[in-house]
Amino acid sequence: MVGIRQQAAFHTDRDAHGRQLSASEREKLLKPYLPAAPEKQAASQPPQNSKAAQLFNHKPRVRPALRHAIHYLLFTLIHTIFSLYIRIRQVNHALVDRVLAVLYYHHRTPELIRRDVKGLSKVPQHLSVILQLPPEGGKKDRLEALVHDACEVAAWSACAGVSMVSIYERTGILKSSLQHLHRRIERNLASYYGATSPLKPTVSLRAPHQSSYSPPHSPEPSSHGTAGSSRPHITILLISASDGRQTLVDLTRTLASMAQDQKLQPGDISAELIDAEISESVMGEPDLLICFGDRVVLDGYPPWQVRLTEIYGVQDHRGGVEYHVFLRGLYRFARAEMRFGR
Amino acid sequence: MASTQGASLRRWLFNLPPVDWVVHQLRELLINTLKCGPIPQHIAFVMDGNRRYARTHKLETVEGHHLGFEALARILEVCYKSGVKVVTIYAFSIENFKRSRYEVDGLMDMAKLKLVQMSQHGELFDRYGASVRILGDRTLVRQDVLEQVNRAVEMTKHNEQAVLNVCFPYTSREEITRSIRETVREFSTPTQRVKGQRGFSETHVLRNLRRSHLSSVMEEERPRKHDVSKSDEYHNDADSSEISDQEDLDASTTLQHSSSQTSHSPSPTLNPSTGKASPVRRKQPAHFRDPETLTEAHLDKNTYTFPAPPLDLLIRTSGVYRLSDFMLWQCHEGTEMKFLDCLWPEFDLWQFLPTLLEWQWRQKREGVDEGGRGGLLKGM
Repeated sequence: MVGIRQQAAFHTDRDAHGRQLSASEREKLLKPYLPAAPEKQAASQPPQNSKAAQLFNHKPRVRPALRHAIHYLLFTLIHTIFSLYIRIRQVNHALVDRVLAVLYYHHRTPELIRRDVKGLSKVPQHLSVILQLPPEGGKKDRLEALVHDACEVAAWSACAGVSMVSIYERTGILKSSLQHLHRRIERNLASYYGATSPLKPTVSLRAPHQSSYSPPHSPEPSSHGTAGSSRPHITILLISASDGRQTLVDLTRTLASMAQDQKLQPGDISAELIDAEISESVMGEPDLLICFGDRVVLDGYPPWQVRLTEIYGVQDHRGGVEYHVFLRGLYRFARAEMRFGR
Repeated sequence: MASTQGASLRRWLFNLPPVDWVVHQLRELLINTLKCGPIPQHIAFVMDGNRRYARTHKLETVEGHHLGFEALARILEVCYKSGVKVVTIYAFSIENFKRSRYEVDGLMDMAKLKLVQMSQHGELFDRYGASVRILGDRTLVRQDVLEQVNRAVEMTKHNEQAVLNVCFPYTSREEITRSIRETVREFSTPTQRVKGQRGFSETHVLRNLRRSHLSSVMEEERPRKHDVSKSDEYHNDADSSEISDQEDLDASTTLQHSSSQTSHSPSPTLNPSTGKASPVRRKQPAHFRDPETLTEAHLDKNTYTFPAPPLDLLIRTSGVYRLSDFMLWQCHEGTEMKFLDCLWPEFDLWQFLPTLLEWQWRQKREGVDEGGRGGLLKGM
């Protein structure tokens, strides 16, 4: 550790007596903390190739080998201890998760969810989640699990009052049948709110570059023309890995063709132009991104939009999509302070 | 000059030479043991929390930044000794220019001081084999700081073992925009088709074609029509201009190819096309690369961090859970993001070690899993 006097000297470039330090003096201060100079023996050894010199010129072999053995032993020891620590931590987190899951179970009741959310100072306008296709299982089972997760997330967000949800799933398999997914979401919402509740939100399902799907609802009365329909509305957007980097590549291709046709100068390309294009064709910036895995990895999530997004993931969480993780994400978002560089 | 951390007994104790030596040896030992396992190749740090630290410890903000710089030096030491190839740090954001003028000037002055110190101790970087690169939009920086920046970069350019990327001033969106702009610029400059590279001369091929056509014309009168339409096509085709280009180039190259000598004796059908091709050539659009060949790799090539390996680990201190416009392009795939609660000046080996260990542990486990799964597949 650098001593106190040396620290102060480094801060202001003067030593204890107020004299300006010279370069060599500073180096002297630092010398004890540096690694050894790289050995330049290798260059000088080849010339001494006489046999006698080889006999008497033995390279140090034992000590580096011993050191290496000690390091390896210590490495295995540290990793054993660490695996133990990780297991304990995982068990601990699992226990806490279980307790929270029981405490905060939503019971499919929107009122409970709304009560949980009431104390929060702010709720994200645009919420985003990263879902994962379960790795094992038959194709239909995996898709079924994924659809179930998506419906649950949609229902919780609708109850919490979020107006836009974007669901990211790497392979994009959810986009293959918007109609089916919409029906499932409606069914799930009905199980939460009751089939004919005036508070049940209307859902419109969208994917970039595909037309939106929001079928007309039969019990829609003629009060459609009144200012602000009585039912809240939630928009669900499905995105996949191709909406990430690939979209930026497509945009670059378009700009390149335009530049080749002299419709555009490269100097005209600015961040605002790209932002306008991308947010219009894919999605805007989410306020909160929740990862339900055991560590925070973006895994192909669109890079442009995630600039100021709060990214939340519970450590060591292995239970998949669960309500308490969602709630904790919302709590974290409410506490966050935005500083914008200030 | 009282100690900045307050005169605590603990600090005095740790500064005693024997204790200091023991702690130092322990650190060396730990770093060397870490080297036995997989080490991330590219780590990024967001150095957040300097001002908060200064506030809670009742110090000046600038002093907080100085302590932050020291924490950085400690962490760099750990990283380079462990064998990390590239370390990227977020020193200054373009958004930070919105801060109070006093603070911005203070930061710029501190940057200048540190850069001057760094340039005077180029040998230290040589010991680690580290080269310093400054990434970001340099046009926004004061002139005197820019000079120091360039000097520091020049001094360490020859080191190749490790890289320190200092993002100053940097915004990831600006980087992506710049990458797109440069790629578009590349694709909109007309390329010169490098002719004569393939060893086949186009005039030779064309003459063989014509000869076979002429021979078929001699035998039958019918294909006259085809011949005329074909020569019309040759007029409008891009190749017609290339024939003339090719002839010029063949004349100028030293390739002693037989066709180059005979290409100057124009065959009867070539002459009219040569004459008609020259005005066509002037209206000919320049040859561009096809935008459909644009891939991620082109955009990657034009980012600031370019030759660096993909980002393995991104660490942000002070409990903020955002990326704040840092490395958006690079960390969108498999980068593990760790958000720690300690403040940056407190960040040291003891906080960094669990993160590294966990990364190593996960890599080993995934390696075992993949090996197991691969074995299972082979067994099937």
